[in-house]
Amino acid sequence: MTTRVQFLERVRREMGKTRGLFPATTAPRPARPREAAEAVRRQLAERWPQAVERFRAEFERVAGVFHRVGRLDEVPAVLARIAAEKGAREVVGWDPAALGWDLRAALAPHDLVVLLAPPRDGEADRRRHREEAARAPLGVTGADWALAETGTLILFSGPGRPRSTSLLPDTHVAVFGPAALLETLEQVGVMLEAHHADPARVDGGGAITFITGPSRTADIELTLTRGVHGPKEVHAIFVDAGAA
Amino acid sequence: MSDPILATPFPRRAGAALKDAYLQEALTIATTKFIDLRKEAFAGLPEGDALRDRARGIKEATLQRLDHYLEQLADNVQRLGGHVHWAATGEEAREVILRLCRDRGVKMAVKSKSMATEEIELNAALERAGVTPIETDLGEYIIQLAHERPSHIIAPAIHKTKGQVADLFSRELKGRFAADPEVLTAVARRELRQKFLQADMGITGANFAVADTGTIVLVTNEGNGRMVTSLPRIHVAVMGMEKVIPSMTDLMVFLAILARSATGQKLSSYTTLVRGPRRPGELEGPEELHLILMDGGRVQQIAGPLREALYCLRCGACLNVCPVYRQIGGHAYGYTYPGPIGILLTAMLEGDRAVKDLAHASSLCGACKDVCPVRIDIPRMLVDLREHLDRGRIAPRSERLVFRLARRLMESPTLFRACVRAGRWLQRPFVRAGRLRRLPFFFGKWTATRELPAVAARTFSERWKDLA
Amino acid sequence: MITCLGDLFFPEVGEAMVAVLRRLGVAVDFPPGQTCCGMPLFNSGYHDDAARVAARTVRLFEGAEHVVVPSGSCAWMVKTEYASLLKGDPALRAAAEALAARTWELSQFLVTVLGVSRVESDFAGRVTYHDSCHLLRGLGESRAPRALLGAVSGVDLVELPEADQCCGFGGSFSVRLPEVSSAILDKKLAAVEGTGADCLVACDGGCLMQMRGGLERRGSRVRALHLAQILAGSTAERTRVE
Repeated sequence: MTTRVQFLERVRREMGKTRGLFPATTAPRPARPREAAEAVRRQLAERWPQAVERFRAEFERVAGVFHRVGRLDEVPAVLARIAAEKGAREVVGWDPAALGWDLRAALAPHDLVVLLAPPRDGEADRRRHREEAARAPLGVTGADWALAETGTLILFSGPGRPRSTSLLPDTHVAVFGPAALLETLEQVGVMLEAHHADPARVDGGGAITFITGPSRTADIELTLTRGVHGPKEVHAIFVDAGAA
Repeated sequence: MSDPILATPFPRRAGAALKDAYLQEALTIATTKFIDLRKEAFAGLPEGDALRDRARGIKEATLQRLDHYLEQLADNVQRLGGHVHWAATGEEAREVILRLCRDRGVKMAVKSKSMATEEIELNAALERAGVTPIETDLGEYIIQLAHERPSHIIAPAIHKTKGQVADLFSRELKGRFAADPEVLTAVARRELRQKFLQADMGITGANFAVADTGTIVLVTNEGNGRMVTSLPRIHVAVMGMEKVIPSMTDLMVFLAILARSATGQKLSSYTTLVRGPRRPGELEGPEELHLILMDGGRVQQIAGPLREALYCLRCGACLNVCPVYRQIGGHAYGYTYPGPIGILLTAMLEGDRAVKDLAHASSLCGACKDVCPVRIDIPRMLVDLREHLDRGRIAPRSERLVFRLARRLMESPTLFRACVRAGRWLQRPFVRAGRLRRLPFFFGKWTATRELPAVAARTFSERWKDLA
Repeated sequence: MITCLGDLFFPEVGEAMVAVLRRLGVAVDFPPGQTCCGMPLFNSGYHDDAARVAARTVRLFEGAEHVVVPSGSCAWMVKTEYASLLKGDPALRAAAEALAARTWELSQFLVTVLGVSRVESDFAGRVTYHDSCHLLRGLGESRAPRALLGAVSGVDLVELPEADQCCGFGGSFSVRLPEVSSAILDKKLAAVEGTGADCLVACDGGCLMQMRGGLERRGSRVRALHLAQILAGSTAERTRVE
């Protein structure tokens, strides 16, 4: 079996035989990522009303369903309506620390069973949650970032915020506010640089997922169908006053 | 790679594809659709050309410090708790996976679409070792059930009708399903959902791996990539070593143009950034993550004539515009990677001899280079490949003699004129109204389907004195 | 530069080109001893052989102020490939670079060098234009031929769907993989016939040979002509039938 040393030695040997095809550079990175990220935040703090309009247009372009409310306490009604439309009795969701608000408490007045992701990781918890997520027709998450340019939701996995919530149920709903909005892919790059450059930050989870519309394929005769393995429908509930 | 398909010479494989009426129609519809989608996507991206230049630059710059980035990637993956394996050959890559399966008691592995695993013929090896591999990308699932190979880099089952898929599913899954893509998709969703939840191992490729952060990036649409990297307890990613990129900032440049080039989408439905196995406190995610960095012939091209082919993002755009691919489809090429870039990759991974015929499966029209997101000069490398075949005496001796003779004619106007006169004389029995309809031997290849103009009674050179 | 195909098979195109250039006041000369630009050798990978032919061609055209070529692929060969083929000999390489700067495909010469936007002719009919690969992608030219065609008052120019798709000639490709070449051609000709045009125009001898060969074999009423023949007018319209 080839070792790292052997492999790299071979690479270096070949590299030594050539100077390359033309002078080339990698993309220029922010010299001070955290400051650059803060600058992006400041920009969006002002521009979020335009950004959310753009987000809406792009989100709908990829068949997302967009809702907008003024305050967080208006969200449960929207969720209940979506659940009713889908005939869903069970809802799976992120835990309050991850979501920033208590989904179970919020939906208590409505006739829905709320299954929250436990913030623990024991084997029994794992198995039970997997069954719950596979069973529930509706999954509710937040969105750490929302990219207006492409209508994309960006979710960080971690304790209490499992990946399956936005993956296994037929319908996924993401609730977020102005603080999540970003306008360009380039800004996402800046935020990601800052995220990874922060030594104080504890590595929350093993995956960051960009979600642009429902699951889709055109593998059969190039006919577009939705909900192949992931959700058939994605909803966004934007809360003007913020979602935390 | 021994393959029954390769027993038939390429021109015959191409000929068979031309006679397949359904394939012809499917190819025309699919490639035309992809062409239009890509055009539209780039029409809406004014900075598209600049991004393509930058992407090309990043790929070249990465190769110029490849050892550094590979080391950085490996260090970061390990820092996150992942394992890195270095595979000089496809066989070594397979060995790593088979050993893992043995040691961890893996019975079933779910796979997300990965051309790298096609390249190393992983599924057959897994099956021989008693592990069940399940392809979960719908197109790959279809061809797995049909025991076929993919015919397109992005849409592997493009050559199948919905009727054929319905029959296939009905037969293999013991049911009766309508020839309706919605119905068939739902069948696949149901069947495969169980597999995702039960599998011991998830196997993927990788579109990119970010050296700076140790992140493995998967660009997908169906959600199977997410399933495969979240649910089973082991995740194995097989990656050509050239897929490493330096930073997250670089990643954004590629994300901006990859999906647009492949399917016309701004972004695919899912872009998954995998950062090691699951963290303490995380409910989901693999316990173990393994990244296999593969050479398989790639390293040799760092200083080789096919270096540029290492930039390839596997988007499939060149296939869609290639007049040859559009006529014969992917299977006729006979190897893992079809189309224009496929010819170069086959030379890279299988050697010059493998492309003795394929190197000429191109009219050098340049459409591929036009659409490549990283501006790979495929036509130039095809011509270089042809030169290699000539120098390496792999091209047939008779052909080389003919071209040497042609050169002599081109160097000597006297000989040239003599040949013109001889040609005029020899063609006499065949000329009708200035045209040659049916010629024997070699020239019959033209006249089987096309008129050929006869050599003029007076060439332009001969007429010049009347014009001067 | 008449090109090998032009000399042997399409002398009438050369005559039309000379007529058009003279009408525009250009003094036309024809260095004798022309054979081929060497592209078939180059494309099939016989680069040493191609270099020898390139060297000869460079010397042949040394004295010319401009070299005008009725073929996009040959012009491309001279302009793009000659210098690197001759890189082993600095003097020849320099001469090749100088030649490249002076060599023009016909439509580019008319529009870019002569600054002509209109060449009137008595040609009349519905015309559709095929973009030859080397002129379109190699030399970046798609407007000049269309502009010149559109400026002829009797011409009704209709756009060819997928005009930029290859005709299937590709030089030796057309006989190495004749069935594939013909299938590609069929697709092209179906598009041509779908335009209802009387006449298909191209700026490349190879494309013309391929497309005319296919049109005539299927008994089509569509004629395949070179741009020069349209611009020269009715006296040049005949495709040579002896």
